[in-house]
Amino acid sequence: MSTVSMAVDLGGIKMRNPLNTASGTFGNGWQFEGFYDVGATLGAITCKGLAAEPWAGNPAPRLAELRGAAIMNSVGLQNPGVRGFVETYGEYLQGLRDKGCQVICQVAGHSVEEYVRATELYEELAPFASGFEINISCPNIAKGGAAMGATPEGAAEVMRAVRDRTERPILVKMAPHDVAEIGRALESAGADALSLINTIPGMTIDVHTRKSRLSRPTAGVSGPAIHAIAVRMVWECAQAVAIPLCGIGGVATGEDAAEMILAGATAVSIGTANMVDPSCAPRILAELEDWAESQGVNDINELIGAFEC
Amino acid sequence: MDLSTTSLHDFTVVTNECVADGIWRMRLSSTVAPLIEPGQFVNIAVPGDGSHILRIPLSFKRADAEAGTLELLYATVGEGTRRLSAMREGDKSTLVGPCGNGWRLPQEPGRALLVAGGIGLPPILAAARMLASERVGFDVVIGARTYAMHVLPDAEEVLGYGQADGAEYDPDRRVILTTDDGTTASGELGRKAYATDGMSDLMAERAYSQVYTCGPTIMMASVAHMAAEHGIACQASLERMMGCGFGACSCCNVELVRGGYALCCQDGPVFDATEVVW
Ligand SMILES: Cc1cc2nc3c(=O)[nH]c(=O)nc-3n(C[C@H](O)[C@H](O)[C@H](O)COP(=O)(O)OP(=O)(O)OC[C@H]3O[C@@H](n4cnc5c(N)ncnc54)[C@H](O)[C@@H]3O)c2cc1C
Ligand SMILES: Cc1cc2nc3c(=O)[nH]c(=O)nc-3n(C[C@H](O)[C@H](O)[C@H](O)COP(=O)(O)O)c2cc1C
Ligand code: FES
Repeated sequence: MSTVSMAVDLGGIKMRNPLNTASGTFGNGWQFEGFYDVGATLGAITCKGLAAEPWAGNPAPRLAELRGAAIMNSVGLQNPGVRGFVETYGEYLQGLRDKGCQVICQVAGHSVEEYVRATELYEELAPFASGFEINISCPNIAKGGAAMGATPEGAAEVMRAVRDRTERPILVKMAPHDVAEIGRALESAGADALSLINTIPGMTIDVHTRKSRLSRPTAGVSGPAIHAIAVRMVWECAQAVAIPLCGIGGVATGEDAAEMILAGATAVSIGTANMVDPSCAPRILAELEDWAESQGVNDINELIGAFEC
Repeated sequence: MDLSTTSLHDFTVVTNECVADGIWRMRLSSTVAPLIEPGQFVNIAVPGDGSHILRIPLSFKRADAEAGTLELLYATVGEGTRRLSAMREGDKSTLVGPCGNGWRLPQEPGRALLVAGGIGLPPILAAARMLASERVGFDVVIGARTYAMHVLPDAEEVLGYGQADGAEYDPDRRVILTTDDGTTASGELGRKAYATDGMSDLMAERAYSQVYTCGPTIMMASVAHMAAEHGIACQASLERMMGCGFGACSCCNVELVRGGYALCCQDGPVFDATEVVW
């Protein structure tokens, strides 16, 4: 048992430890119950991005494996809508809260109005939500998503509109570009914390057919290959804002999570690693605790941003 | 809402041998064996190459609950399956399973027709064993590109399924092998035929109340079409690129006739053929 206090505060979301899950890679939690006790293990889970109304998502194929420890997806936020989600998973998610695991609900939309509508529905239907994560960075949808978060002004506009609709903590899921500038705009617009990074837009071409290996020309790259880029962006953002960060990108080991924390992340999300090694979270947590202990601290918070340059 | 029972299992390779051109049979021992149902699948981590991170989804031919073993048949089509073929007796790794929903028993009385194409064979063999244990009569068509790719011992074995105890229940069972290029056992060129041609032949001779199929999409689409034309129920086991294999990533979508998508790994891989857009 670790002697280091692992509890962290992610913009008002009080987590028993820094481990969170990256939206879209963890279902809505219950899929992992056969692997470990989700509610008793994680600091928080982040659910799949949901819009006010159901979205079908993109056609198949949605997934390609790349050489060099990475995958590429074009899922495009297939989701049952907030109401369908609450009806199916509400009870389970309340159970996670009861066990001390925070539940972050992700908000998706094609327009400011749609983000607002989804947030209002959550407010009405989802008492179990510990807070919200606004997804303005999905590279796989034609309208909204990454386009909304592409500029500081666009990002801040969505943030302000959602801020008016809820008292609960709001995180914003950021795209992998201009994180310092956009981060500052989001902080000014009232964000409680920032999550970064979403997948990095990429292309993969079947040279025999000359077509994309996926149903869209471009899609999002994730996995261990993007870790170093994500750590750099967390570090850049941490220097630009005072609000806490959740570091995401290629985390597969305790050491990867520790890098995120040193670069300035308060919490760390596991993404693609959940898909390939579904029981990785308890192991990553144990490795993170061992590392914190080896650093001779009493509290993991002492290590946030402790990178020495 | 039922919580997932899919979990992580260790496995140890018992045997791993090449059984036809480019096709291997692996027997492994794993705690998943007593839990898995015919038509479900496992998602296997093949060690030895950190640059490929995804697991490999594989159906199985036979699960022996008592011996705690699972028998797989797989084609070496790429990097991962080639590394799988290099695993030796005693080698260990992990698998995720049981994944998905397997075959259902026929709703109607009557014979079943099983149609396998290429490496769609393993789940069809599992379906045959399931039907045999329920004393349902059935015939099997197995198609391969060329004769050397037929897994002959496994195909021949099907005739004996459920009949070992002498109390024969299905004496007229037929197992038909087709080859796309017309190659035969004798080496002489015979009839060039797809599995669907074998299916037509059998349907002209016998009445069926249920079709089970697994193979290339184009073949399954024809099988589904022929079954529908004859008003016969048809279950098809689909393949998709898979990320997780247990419903967590939405990467394995299957387009539905009623609109929207199902997830192959969670809602399938076995689907009612009339529900999918072919
Ligand atoms: C539910 C399910 C059950 C399966 N059961 C079997 C089985 O019993 N025996 C068997 O030999 N194969 C089976 N497959 C297919 C098998 O998973 C793929 O052949 C394998 O993942 C290829 O890996 P690779 O690294 O060798 O090939 P790669 O180098 O990744 O790719 C080589 C080729 O295989 C194709 N491929 C890759 N992944 C898949 C996939 N998930 N499904 C279909 N094609 C794919 C690629 O498009 C490419 O053309 C099954 C697939 C699914 C989804
Ligand atoms: C299959 C898949 C689906 C995803 N869906 C979402 C989503 O719905 N919302 C979101 O903000 N990010 C989504 N992401 C991005 C991840 O949350 C994460 O930001 C990204 O994958 C980088 O982390 P990783 O390298 O650890 O996977 C998805 C990623 C993958 C691989
Ligand atoms: S492969 Fe992840 S949902 Fe099917």
